[in-house]
Amino acid sequence: HVRYRMEASCLELALEGERLCKAGDCRAGVSFFEAAVQVGTEDLKTLSAIYSQLGNAYFYLHEYNKALEYHHHDLTLARTIGDRLGEAKASGNLGNTLKVLGNFEEAVLYCERHLEISRELYDKVGEARALYNLGNVYHSQGKSLACTATQDPGEFPEDVKAALQRAVDYYEANLLIVTDLGDRAAQGRAYGNLGNTHYLLGNFRRAVSSHEQRLLIAREFGDRSAERRAYSNLGNAFIFLGEFEMAAEYYKKTLQLARQLKDRAVEAQSCYSLGNTYTLLQDYEKAIEYHLKHLAIAQELRDRVGEGRACWSLGNAYTALGNHDEAVHFAEKHLDISRELGDRNGELTAQLNLSDLQMVLGLSYSTNASVLSEIQDTDTSKNVARPRLSRRHSMENLELVKITPEKFQVQN
Amino acid sequence: LSSINRQAAELQSKAVPSKQVIHSDNIEMEPETMEIKSVSEYFNKVHMGTLVYSCKKKNK
Repeated sequence: HVRYRMEASCLELALEGERLCKAGDCRAGVSFFEAAVQVGTEDLKTLSAIYSQLGNAYFYLHEYNKALEYHHHDLTLARTIGDRLGEAKASGNLGNTLKVLGNFEEAVLYCERHLEISRELYDKVGEARALYNLGNVYHSQGKSLACTATQDPGEFPEDVKAALQRAVDYYEANLLIVTDLGDRAAQGRAYGNLGNTHYLLGNFRRAVSSHEQRLLIAREFGDRSAERRAYSNLGNAFIFLGEFEMAAEYYKKTLQLARQLKDRAVEAQSCYSLGNTYTLLQDYEKAIEYHLKHLAIAQELRDRVGEGRACWSLGNAYTALGNHDEAVHFAEKHLDISRELGDRNGELTAQLNLSDLQMVLGLSYSTNASVLSEIQDTDTSKNVARPRLSRRHSMENLELVKITPEKFQVQN
Repeated sequence: LSSINRQAAELQSKAVPSKQVIHSDNIEMEPETMEIKSVSEYFNKVHMGTLVYSCKKKNK
């Protein structure tokens, strides 16, 4: 094997890397590409292709600094040999990588370069792709600015709205071209992200119509992951339209597909959304049913954050039903987990809930009661000894959001 | 007893999420599109001809 590697030419190694990446094994692909770089070649176009693929492989492996490094090498090389198309592609890849790293200003510059060269070369496909990437950069920038604020979708500060509006403009420009080209897959992507941007801007009706288009195209392709994404995004939009029954229907479809696709994290997410939706519908039995399912998967995946949220939700639902014993049980668990995670807000909420509940139960209760502290102390030390939590990716974006559209107040 | 009932009723009304719930604000984005360069494609286009030619020459 070692001898083979030493004797193998740069090209052979690169071809093997390419094959492995296409087969989905980026990690192995990377080692072949890096070996190819070690061997070296005088053909700069081959080297450029190797750098580019190394960059993409590291991108898919979420090693973005490495991706950045190789896409930079590729760009330099493309410029050196005067390869305009190659320069456009390297710029686009750099833009996407910088976006993920949160460097939005630079990302915009590189994506604009991609757009500019594509237009120069009358490359419509490249132009459309650059427009989509620019939309993505502005969407991410808007979302990242919005994270510092705690408003609901549609209630963001002006700079957030401006970035999101630019994203809408780019997605729409992209849609014009890809519709013209008859590229249905690209249309599907654009509709999905356009829908999400409208959602953040508070244009919930437009979000719905975009996601309906996305759903249609996903079904055309039999792309069940995209179909599931569309259902989930439709559910979110209907929540904010105050149409909770519709939201529940879409979340149920998400759940069904998550189970078919055997994605436990997404299944948990769907149960959680359904629990919240039934809470909004004031059907607490169903809310409990789904929150318990969510809790079970969160425990299975050792997702303590998800578990804490489930306990909080369950505490509220049991309180609403007047089942105070169960409510106390989950409020205590919520307090426990919040302390373990160092979540001060969660801890205070849990303490408030507990003191309310204890009052109802006719017991005197103090949040710094020594017995309670002792219980918590032992529980915390027990939890520390457990394996570290691995947060589910899909759960990281869950936020405590205040929902205050007038509709809700009218309904309740 | 009536005071406990009243408190229970109050608590229940507090729990009804008229204003606040944990909302699963988990919007799901479409995948990124990365630009692709390929060694094999380039190799096929540019080098195949010359390689085949040199092989033929060697064979002769």
